Amino acid sequence: MANQTPAVVMDNGTGFSKLGFAGNDSPSFVFPTAIATKGPAAGSGGSGSGRPAVANKPSFLTGGAGPTGHLSTKRGTEDLDFFIGDEAINAASGPGYGLHYPIRHGQIENWDHMERFWSNSIFKYLRVEPEDHYFLLTEPPLNPPENRENTAEIFFESFNCAGLYIAVQAVLALAASWTSSKVTDRSLTGTVIDSGDGVTHVIPVAEGYVIGSSIKSIPIAGRDITYFVQSLLRDRGEPDSSLKTAQEIKEEYCYVCPDIVKEFARFDRDRSRFMKHVVTQPGGRQVTVDVGYERFLAPEIFFNPEIYSSDFLTPLPVVVDGVIQSSPIDVRRGLYKNIVLSGGSTLYKDFGRRLQRDIKQLVDDRIRASEVRSGGAKSGGLEVQVITHKRQRHGPWFGGSLLGQTPEFRSYCHTKAEYQEYGPGIVRRFALLGGPGGS
Amino acid sequence: MLLLDYQNVLIQSVLTERFSGAPPVSIDQTVSDFDGVIFHISTPETKTKIMVSIQIRCFKDLVRYGAEEVLNREYGPYVVPPEPGYDFSIVVDLESLPTDKEARDELVKKISLLKRNAMAAPFEQAYEEHYRLKQEASKFTSEEAPQGVREGGEVKAIHYREEEAIYVKASHDRVTVIFSTVFREETDRVFGKVFIQEFVDARRRAIQNAPQVLFRNDPPLELQGVPGVKNTGTGEIGYVTFGRWTYLRCGRACVLRGTVLFTRHLTPQRMPDVISHIQTFRDYFHYHIKASKAYIHSRMRRRTADFLQVLRRARPDHEEKERKTASGRTFKVGS
Amino acid sequence: MSQSLRPYLQAVRSSLTAALCLSNFASQTAERHNVPEVEARTSPEVLLTPLTIARNENERVLIEPSINSIRISIKIKQADEIEHILVHKFTRFLTQRAESFFILRRKPIKGYDISFLITNFHTEEMLKHKLVDFIIQFMEEVDKEISEMKLFLNARARFVAESFLTPVRLCPRYSAYRISRSDSPLVRLSQAGYSGRQGNHICI
Repeated sequence: MANQTPAVVMDNGTGFSKLGFAGNDSPSFVFPTAIATKGPAAGSGGSGSGRPAVANKPSFLTGGAGPTGHLSTKRGTEDLDFFIGDEAINAASGPGYGLHYPIRHGQIENWDHMERFWSNSIFKYLRVEPEDHYFLLTEPPLNPPENRENTAEIFFESFNCAGLYIAVQAVLALAASWTSSKVTDRSLTGTVIDSGDGVTHVIPVAEGYVIGSSIKSIPIAGRDITYFVQSLLRDRGEPDSSLKTAQEIKEEYCYVCPDIVKEFARFDRDRSRFMKHVVTQPGGRQVTVDVGYERFLAPEIFFNPEIYSSDFLTPLPVVVDGVIQSSPIDVRRGLYKNIVLSGGSTLYKDFGRRLQRDIKQLVDDRIRASEVRSGGAKSGGLEVQVITHKRQRHGPWFGGSLLGQTPEFRSYCHTKAEYQEYGPGIVRRFALLGGPGGS
Repeated sequence: MLLLDYQNVLIQSVLTERFSGAPPVSIDQTVSDFDGVIFHISTPETKTKIMVSIQIRCFKDLVRYGAEEVLNREYGPYVVPPEPGYDFSIVVDLESLPTDKEARDELVKKISLLKRNAMAAPFEQAYEEHYRLKQEASKFTSEEAPQGVREGGEVKAIHYREEEAIYVKASHDRVTVIFSTVFREETDRVFGKVFIQEFVDARRRAIQNAPQVLFRNDPPLELQGVPGVKNTGTGEIGYVTFGRWTYLRCGRACVLRGTVLFTRHLTPQRMPDVISHIQTFRDYFHYHIKASKAYIHSRMRRRTADFLQVLRRARPDHEEKERKTASGRTFKVGS
Repeated sequence: MSQSLRPYLQAVRSSLTAALCLSNFASQTAERHNVPEVEARTSPEVLLTPLTIARNENERVLIEPSINSIRISIKIKQADEIEHILVHKFTRFLTQRAESFFILRRKPIKGYDISFLITNFHTEEMLKHKLVDFIIQFMEEVDKEISEMKLFLNARARFVAESFLTPVRLCPRYSAYRISRSDSPLVRLSQAGYSGRQGNHICI
């Protein structure tokens, strides 16, 4: 029977988890990676320092879960009493529950919570018997192999899942871009710009392998744009400047412009560009909020970070260019040619076009300079292409769904039998799914 | 989460959203449910016509026990010829939905219970058989009842999973439901045994009028002579190392008689709930085995951390010492 | 602590303390190698007599001393199938994390559940008596943990069985107040999701 069941694809990110079945074009469930447990939210502030999870394994085991002296009293059923996702957020707003985010900076920090989160995702939401299904999970780039082993331990020992494949999110995002008409060859070489809620990563991938040393992160992502919109609303003294309103405005009205100065002028010429946003407040009262320059200013912080932040000043195109320049020379051409966007904060209209133009400019300037230096030699030019596609929002998930439905997917997985034979160390290596060896 | 839901959450949420009057979009989702059931929600013709198809591996068994009647009764106006590759399909037209909200919710609920309803047929049949036999039996005292009445109806076998099956049998004083389940892993088998033992004891201990649960490793008497079981009887040897057959017999008689008032009103009304509930047994059982493993994992994690802390005490502390340079400046030397 | 446990642990403690007399010793068979002799077993003259301390047939400790290393293997009490599986799970969980335990051997000696290997390098950088303390505490706690886990499993099984069987005897709409343990929103929520086809509330 296990031959027919679709593989389960789970992409657990810092902010949101995407769950669904391979072969579908969108995840079945998207909800916050949050878990609400009985008792106050412990250690949520302290453990946010983002220390590496492996170096101090014990500290996160004891931390946040209350004193260990509690052990003997926990014979009840407290461990069944929790909510995940949206229900967790609701429950935590009431008394008695504390909210936890088991994933921080892309990596799992609290395995206890994560195990229960998975358990509930599988049995309550996806409703599958893990013994019948293969699972495709995702991990951030540079995830320590110990984390993979811990994940495998949970999936094989607690859930007895039939088979497991752990893929790097960036590679899946590349696979997701195969749906774009611009992509002609299904290569796994490219630069992934993954911008979620908390952080933006620029990840070069060569033939399915992440070039770890060249990865760069930018501390500007969706949340910062929301804050920026909010601060603009506050400055103007709008009647409603809650975070929720700011987010709605960001998602509905924002776009990327080719040139801010001209865009300001266009706004001043054409008053119709100013929008009105109607907010229904909790009391049922309706308020109208003006939407002004933030329409193009908000996403602009990617390209001109100085308008928002004072400590991070490198524009995104420069970072991307730097990342590719620091990668091995023989893959750079491929990396420029296939810059793939992924994540919710790359969905602004014309984001890809602007990025492509800016990177192209940087590249052309450099080529021109070297032409001058070489004294007359002509360069053949360099193709820069930013790929925008329809599945960008849940890029890694969709890539997983695409690869998970291929007939050879199962042969790439490690099965429960193999796990028992070799031990958890087996998940340190996975054959490259969808790579040159595949179909 | 303690009990599993009866309905499919995804179908429910998709349909609730679609029915809420949102602009129609095309859907094409394959959804899995417990026991290898696969749903397919799609909009094959137009965006307003949502088709929900279900594929159950034991559909043939179910049809034999009247699944089609049950499904037709539940989904009458929506039933369409099944989509290729699936066993049963319904189509809901968004343009001709019930107008009031409650009726819509009812419809969503009903569709999300598709699996439950398909599986309910043999149980419903067993119930009816039971009522019939009860009436017949009431004419006799227990000793002189004719053979047929005492023995009860035939055993209905539902092979809902590979290697695993549910057997339902009605008799004049009870409806017996037998689950056979296989544990492929040693840990699960041991945990399963502990759990089953508690199921068996539960009635004795706390809940007097709970259904009776019995457990045995060899096929119970009720199953003697049932085809399928003989075959698995030989196959059983192959499983000795991995797992065993677990037979669970949930006599329903006590529920029906019980201490319940208004027995006459209650029984037929209770039937749908009892059926829904008993269906989730296997998955509930397996879910809780896994949940306790998860809990034991978290205990072990904490205990391991404790041990590490003790071990770390064995390392002598390197205290930070303050040292002085020749010029009189101080600096600290860490460990 | 039960009556027989104290002398047992005391015996282990004294034997271990005595055995933990290790010195740096280069391999006699391979040049420029320094291996734990108790594992390499290449020169019999540096191996000392192994020692078994048994509390009963199910619980014993094997101490194998040598000139530069000592191996301690523990057999943990396993009264029944459940304890056996729990011990197996727990020791595997620990050995999985042997990296951070320094002295834990990745594989137990045959016939035992868990083994530790302490070399002279360990005793040089860690306090000897604290290492002994660790082993003793480990032995104490592991038993406690196993029996606690077993108790948990039984309690959980009982709870699970009762919660499954309880709603069966209740009224059609599983009203939350009918279930004794319904003060947990968990129970309420999972039931609120389902409403029977009949709307009427007829309770027992």
